[in-house]
Amino acid sequence: MFVTERMATDLITIGPDLTIGEAKKIMSDNSIRHLPVVDEGEKLVGIVTDRDMRDAMPSTLKKKEDYEQTLSTIMNFQVKDIMTRDPLTIYPYFTIQDTLLVIQKKKVGALPVVDEEGYLKGILSTRDLLTAFVNVMGIDEPGSLLCILCEDKVGQLKKIVDIIADENICLGSILTAKSWSEEKRAIFPYLYTNNVINVKKRLLETGFELIDPMTWYLEQSPQKAD
Amino acid sequence: MKRTGFVYDERYLLHTTGEYHPESPERLKAIYKGLSDSGLLDKLVMIAPEKAGQQWIEAVHNIHYIMKFEETCIMGLPEFDHPDNAICRDTYEIALLAVGGVLKAIDAVMEGEVDNAFCAVRPPGHHAEVDKPMGFCYFNNVAIGARYLQKQHGIERVGIIDFDVHHGNGTQHIFDQDSSVFYYSVHEHPSFAYPGTGREFETGVAAGNGFTRNSPILPGRGDDEYRKVIMQDLVPAFKQFRPEVVLLSAGFDAHISDLMSGTNLTTEGYDFVTEVIVNLVDKFADGRVISVLEGGYNLDILPLLVENHIKMLAHMR
Repeated sequence: MFVTERMATDLITIGPDLTIGEAKKIMSDNSIRHLPVVDEGEKLVGIVTDRDMRDAMPSTLKKKEDYEQTLSTIMNFQVKDIMTRDPLTIYPYFTIQDTLLVIQKKKVGALPVVDEEGYLKGILSTRDLLTAFVNVMGIDEPGSLLCILCEDKVGQLKKIVDIIADENICLGSILTAKSWSEEKRAIFPYLYTNNVINVKKRLLETGFELIDPMTWYLEQSPQKAD
Repeated sequence: MKRTGFVYDERYLLHTTGEYHPESPERLKAIYKGLSDSGLLDKLVMIAPEKAGQQWIEAVHNIHYIMKFEETCIMGLPEFDHPDNAICRDTYEIALLAVGGVLKAIDAVMEGEVDNAFCAVRPPGHHAEVDKPMGFCYFNNVAIGARYLQKQHGIERVGIIDFDVHHGNGTQHIFDQDSSVFYYSVHEHPSFAYPGTGREFETGVAAGNGFTRNSPILPGRGDDEYRKVIMQDLVPAFKQFRPEVVLLSAGFDAHISDLMSGTNLTTEGYDFVTEVIVNLVDKFADGRVISVLEGGYNLDILPLLVENHIKMLAHMR
């Protein structure tokens, strides 16, 4: 899954010479927290975030008159005075997985997507990644989660998927996890159905163990040393 | 002892769902046989259903949806919108009869012929949305009942308690902006169970905010968790709302022996749920409660759970 499928492309951008006051208004009017800054040729030159804005504001502990006076001065500064220059960017051929790792490592809230000449193509925020995650898990459609314990060897997943397909049930997702006992694996299929009885019966008949997800979770949690 | 009405009709068996579907006619056969073998049936007041008039279906459902449902049945298609929703040619008419059974039970309670009633009807209703069938449900029996109470019998505040193991997404969505109907549901946590709604933070929308309450139960938690949420969530909410009449979406699929779920409610746990509800209804709604069958798929335990539930309604236990 490439970032181009998930990034926002209806972009609001600003020039570096815009005043802080105007930029602040654009952010609050559009409820956005990241504003890419581009030059006349639409090349990305920086990014300004709501955090940059807050850092630039006078302390609210100041006396009222003082505060307002400083504020009006600050509002007239230009965006280029507070923006992050040459921000961290990603390219359209980056995958969602790449981006998850970049965001986790660099602790940023959004990443501009640029092409190889540096022209802005889109922006991907942590919120877009969350939407992608909901989509990957398939939980935006009604369904039921099974929790199956099976031997950790080749071909087990196929048996499970075959049973699900035989029952004419569509799959939202399948997650797997290593289990507490070495030779076991836990498999979590999310099924787009309310009708789980027959599929559960078939799994049991085939020799799979159905487990209570809470039990699995608790057994996986770090145990206190005695 | 109270006079408890019982809605049943052999025509409810005509809605067939194919060989392996859990929402089968056998469910009602088992319930009827259980009640008749135990002798309880003789002590109940039989209420014969009639098909609901279309104006009542339209009080909840979109007209195009109603027509599409009828067409899909007439064409003889095996399913409606999703493989879960298995149908036959008779399903549409029987769904009207299920709604009609609830409306008849409401009339009997409101006119004082009985004190309360249990409706052994199918197809079930609480997943059915305004314009979408879901989870074996086509017309939302209980939601239509609530509108009928308001429009036909002048009731202002209707309380709905849904203890089916699945969240009643349809009922919640139909009333989520409405402060005249309080929807309470206890169900298996939506991260594990169908339909994936009914989280604690879903409390109603706009004017209806505060008139929806959800108690999700994590898998495996069983009776203790049910006791806790019923006392902490349901009781105070209904004390404050003071419903004039209460409708139940009575699902028996939370039972420990029902493969449909993992909540592990026991037979005694079900008794507790019904007992609290009966006490609440006696206190606030003048004893007026109409209980409507939703799920419950283990045919070995379903008749006993229904029998216990009805005995509690009838104050026989």
